[in-house]
Amino acid sequence: MYAYIVRRLLQLIPTFFGATLLAFLVIQLAPGDFVTRLELDPTQDRESIANLRQQLGLDQPLPVQYAKWLSGILQGYLGLSLSYKTDVWNVIGPRILNSMVLVVLATLMIYLIAIPIGVYSAIYKYTWQDRLFTVLAFFGLAVPNFFFGLIMLFLAVWLYDLTDMRLLPIGGMTNEFLHLGNMTRAAQWFFPPALLGSLVFAALFWRRTRQKLAPTFGQWVGLVLFGVSALLLLFPLWQGPGLPERLPYTDAPLWARITNVLWHAFPVVIVVGTSGLAGLMRVMRGQMLDVLSQDYIRTARAKGLSERVVIYKHALRNAVIPFIAGIGGLLPGLIGGAGLVEVTMAWPGITPALLEAISAIDLYVIMGLITITTILLMIGNVISDLLLAWVDPRIRYS
Amino acid sequence: MLRRVPSSSSAPANRSFFQQAWLRFKRHPLARLGAAILLVFYLGALFADFLAPYPEEKSFRDFSFAAPTQIFWRDENGRLTRPYVCASERRRNPETFKVEVITDCEKGRYPIYFFTKGEPYHFLGLFPADLRLMGGPWLLEDKARLFLWGTDDFGRDIWGRIWFGARISLTIGIFAVALALLIGIFMGSISGYYAGRPVTFSIGLLNPRFWAFVRASRLLDHLLALLGLALIAALFWGMAQGYQLYIRPDLQRVSTLLLGMLGLGVGLVLFGLLLYSLVWRSHLVRALLWLLAWVGVAWLVWITVWGFLQSSRGLEAFLAGLLGAGLLGAIGYILLWPRIELDLDTLIMRSVEVLAAIPDLFLLIILSVLIPMEVPPAVRFVLVVTILSFVNWGGLARIIRSQVLQLREMEYAQAAQALGAGDARIVIRHVLPGTYTYLIVAVTLAIPGFILGESGLSFLGLGIQEPATSWGLMLSKAQATGITAFTERPWLLIPGVFIFMAVLAYNFMGDGLRDALDPRTKV
Repeated sequence: MYAYIVRRLLQLIPTFFGATLLAFLVIQLAPGDFVTRLELDPTQDRESIANLRQQLGLDQPLPVQYAKWLSGILQGYLGLSLSYKTDVWNVIGPRILNSMVLVVLATLMIYLIAIPIGVYSAIYKYTWQDRLFTVLAFFGLAVPNFFFGLIMLFLAVWLYDLTDMRLLPIGGMTNEFLHLGNMTRAAQWFFPPALLGSLVFAALFWRRTRQKLAPTFGQWVGLVLFGVSALLLLFPLWQGPGLPERLPYTDAPLWARITNVLWHAFPVVIVVGTSGLAGLMRVMRGQMLDVLSQDYIRTARAKGLSERVVIYKHALRNAVIPFIAGIGGLLPGLIGGAGLVEVTMAWPGITPALLEAISAIDLYVIMGLITITTILLMIGNVISDLLLAWVDPRIRYS
Repeated sequence: MLRRVPSSSSAPANRSFFQQAWLRFKRHPLARLGAAILLVFYLGALFADFLAPYPEEKSFRDFSFAAPTQIFWRDENGRLTRPYVCASERRRNPETFKVEVITDCEKGRYPIYFFTKGEPYHFLGLFPADLRLMGGPWLLEDKARLFLWGTDDFGRDIWGRIWFGARISLTIGIFAVALALLIGIFMGSISGYYAGRPVTFSIGLLNPRFWAFVRASRLLDHLLALLGLALIAALFWGMAQGYQLYIRPDLQRVSTLLLGMLGLGVGLVLFGLLLYSLVWRSHLVRALLWLLAWVGVAWLVWITVWGFLQSSRGLEAFLAGLLGAGLLGAIGYILLWPRIELDLDTLIMRSVEVLAAIPDLFLLIILSVLIPMEVPPAVRFVLVVTILSFVNWGGLARIIRSQVLQLREMEYAQAAQALGAGDARIVIRHVLPGTYTYLIVAVTLAIPGFILGESGLSFLGLGIQEPATSWGLMLSKAQATGITAFTERPWLLIPGVFIFMAVLAYNFMGDGLRDALDPRTKV
């Protein structure tokens, strides 16, 4: 096992060099560099341009530039952003964090929705519910996500015109000003039902455990949803009344900022996650159908086990194996897929930053973005391979 | 007892595999739906000039973002008549004080005629014609306008441009898949066939096996290889001359471009044939070539390390010098002694991994920057196809490799080898045909990915560009006007619906094909 992990990690090194070299070559093959635009400016004289080019190291041969960049990477330094005149990390760090918010939330959404629906479709196959989910999955796979993003924006604007309330955000990641008063009043409204809901589900949960039975999936979901929302609503209830009605984003308390970002992320995550959700739903259904037709399921039923135990303990645990491992395979699709949606819905993530950097030919920012996403992807793939090897004892490590 | 045997019962057994597959495909309702939608779309793209009332680039500056033209069915007395449109103009609405397109039926009513004479065009770029689906004399004289689905920012008819855009959006997937398939089959079959059978790349000069290797080929081979090298040089010179003389001056024309691509393809095939049949036989020339390759690598290492040392100091410089010396020493050693084997499978699969390591969208974006801004639309189309297939051939190559790995161990492949067939013949005649059914499905399911890739790239403004059009480019207009103006012009979202339907149809058809071509399902 350890030999396998080490070998898998060692394999990453040439891939990493190859990928960065490819990206570097492609960027450098494009005509012009960062300084080219200054040459068009008549106020700049040739000498200062040549000086600048020499200062930035753009006059050296390509392999030398790549070697310099690589030696910086090995020391943990991503280079200097040419247009912002600062460390690349300062430019791209926040952008990568923003994109990660989307990717993590979308992954959570995909897994929390795809698995139950897949299981449900498999158990009740060829019913109208199953057919409905199948059709929805086809639609979800076919809709281009930037188009879906546009429709989401359209919906948001339309709802705003209709109700005169910002029910859905219209692009972006944060508001300039946060209406703390509205938030507090909303929290006062929603807290009692949330508390009531969590109490009800806690009671159900408790009764189920008293009967020495495992709580159902629905009880888990209800308890977690209501409990977490009740806990989150405590913050505005506690701090809200003492705060002014309206504050700039940067001065607002942490809970208000997080709520604002999550509210903006909500439609974006739905758009980003849809195609992955549709795909995994189908995979889960297929897996579950495969497992349900196995001999040991018949044996379990013949033993007289309840259908619940058969499905959740015997079938689901086996069907979900490739799923857990698939988490790494999901990342590339999400990072790429989030890209166009980020542009459409004005989410300040990696792809808009990349497009900006490309139009300014900000070499090291482009390289930094590509390097970091490549590393993230490779880590995701390794994790999924390792998970697969760990979860499934049938896999050999050779 | 004699009994009549119904004669039809023996018929199904005689059906060939593809006949059975066709039957299964026909019984798949969604696949039929998908095929029907695609047929309509492709016919629409073919007859775009006929469907569109206006030529592709006709723009009405006064009517930018005009709403779909209202079509009336009843005359002023409320009786049903032939559908007609009314005169319209752009002016300030006295009630809302907005400048908008106002239709006024008092100023004239113009009936829509079908299958009528319109502006002349060349069908398929060859046959002059002027038959159009909708129109009338008023449309030619510009008295009233017919915008079935509204207009875009330049006041161009969206209904017509949808079909002109379909020409690009729907064919780009097929062209890109074809190119990716070509690369994928080539790389995948080499990779699968030579997996675990490394090829000698180089042998050190002082190694006794070097001389054995060089002496293994006859004098005639050396002479032929020299001839081959000369021919290759002549080929390249000829290609460069042809480009300079015939292709370059006239790049704007599609036919010249096609000719150029044909020339490039033929040239590359000839190059491969010459290299394989003439040059590769002579071991001496091969040895010279690998010597040249290693010296080239050494030169590259040298300038890198030298340039690096010029501009760095301290530990960094020391380590770089050490690394450079180590690399140069290793190359020197390789030149002198060991036998280096090259596993083509490892090489190709590692390159596929490298391509897969960068997110597809980012690779597409940085590659699309390579396309010069000032190229004609046809060249741009070809370059976008090239980029898309360059990014996506890896998946197809992997599929083919895994199939070839299985099939090369089959008895019939080994029998062919035992009969003395060459590698190329075994792969092309015996191994690859076994992968066809699998490939048909993989290709059908890959096309929507390419369509989405193109539309995404064009949506970002990096793919197809004005004045040509594609669905992704048209969809980008929806956002170009700002988000708040969004609900006022929903017709700009129509191209997105078309992308969606095309992708859906391909998915349906791929699903049906997969079921149909699976030999386990019975008719």
